[in-house]
Amino acid sequence: MTSPYRLERRTVLKQFISATTLAMVATSGLLLPQRVLAHWPSDAFTAETVEDVLLALMGQADIAEDNAVTFAVGKPTKLITDGQSVTVEITSSLANIERVAVLVDNNPNPLAMSFDLTSSVMMPLKSRIKIVEGESKVIAVIRAEGKLYKTSRDVRVYAGGNP
Amino acid sequence: MSMLEQDRLRATLRVGHTAVRVLLIHPMTSGRSVNNSPAVSGLHFIQDIRCWRNDEPMLEVKCGSATAENPYFAFRLMEGEIGDKIKVRWVDNMGQKGVVETLVN
Repeated sequence: MTSPYRLERRTVLKQFISATTLAMVATSGLLLPQRVLAHWPSDAFTAETVEDVLLALMGQADIAEDNAVTFAVGKPTKLITDGQSVTVEITSSLANIERVAVLVDNNPNPLAMSFDLTSSVMMPLKSRIKIVEGESKVIAVIRAEGKLYKTSRDVRVYAGGNP
Repeated sequence: MSMLEQDRLRATLRVGHTAVRVLLIHPMTSGRSVNNSPAVSGLHFIQDIRCWRNDEPMLEVKCGSATAENPYFAFRLMEGEIGDKIKVRWVDNMGQKGVVETLVN
């Protein structure tokens, strides 16, 4: 007994669902950057994929991959014995850098740290992160003048940290 | 470990910039075991680190639990002079806080 009434109800429901999802996406995209500036961006730090992190932290995921970012991970660079503490150094020739993020794609939560720079801060930025055991990609993303720039390094970690 | 119980901050004037290095003493635990179990009990890590020069905000670092134990940061501030006051404050996810200050030399 599928009456036309029931079918109509389906379509109305579907339209309603797609409309609400669209609205949610639109509001989250518009609201996030401001919320992120205010305090600790928990959305970005609990996200589980690199794309989600970038959307939450930078408000976009379109990347201009660029050699204006240079980036060193660990010493020696490729083979890291201790994943508990890996040195990361980010250098860039870009001007007006607003934000720098360090991500590890295989960590349970990829985002390791995010720097908000004022115009008085100069590169290089240096810090230490934890990386899981095995092969991972360490990614540095820089937002400058509304554009994202990315560089990544493949590393192999023998004794993983527990990030 | 007695040498490492205090946060450390060094700021040195170089040609054209001030080199700042900061070492915070913090366990930075993620609560996960070595095998990346999903449990997050014992999650204890610094979330927010801020740096000022002469009370002017310079840098903000947001950290996740993937920041290494005893977080270390090195960066440069443009120009500067001897005697500038550099201040770093941090707060972790349990609300513990710390402040460390130094003068540029």
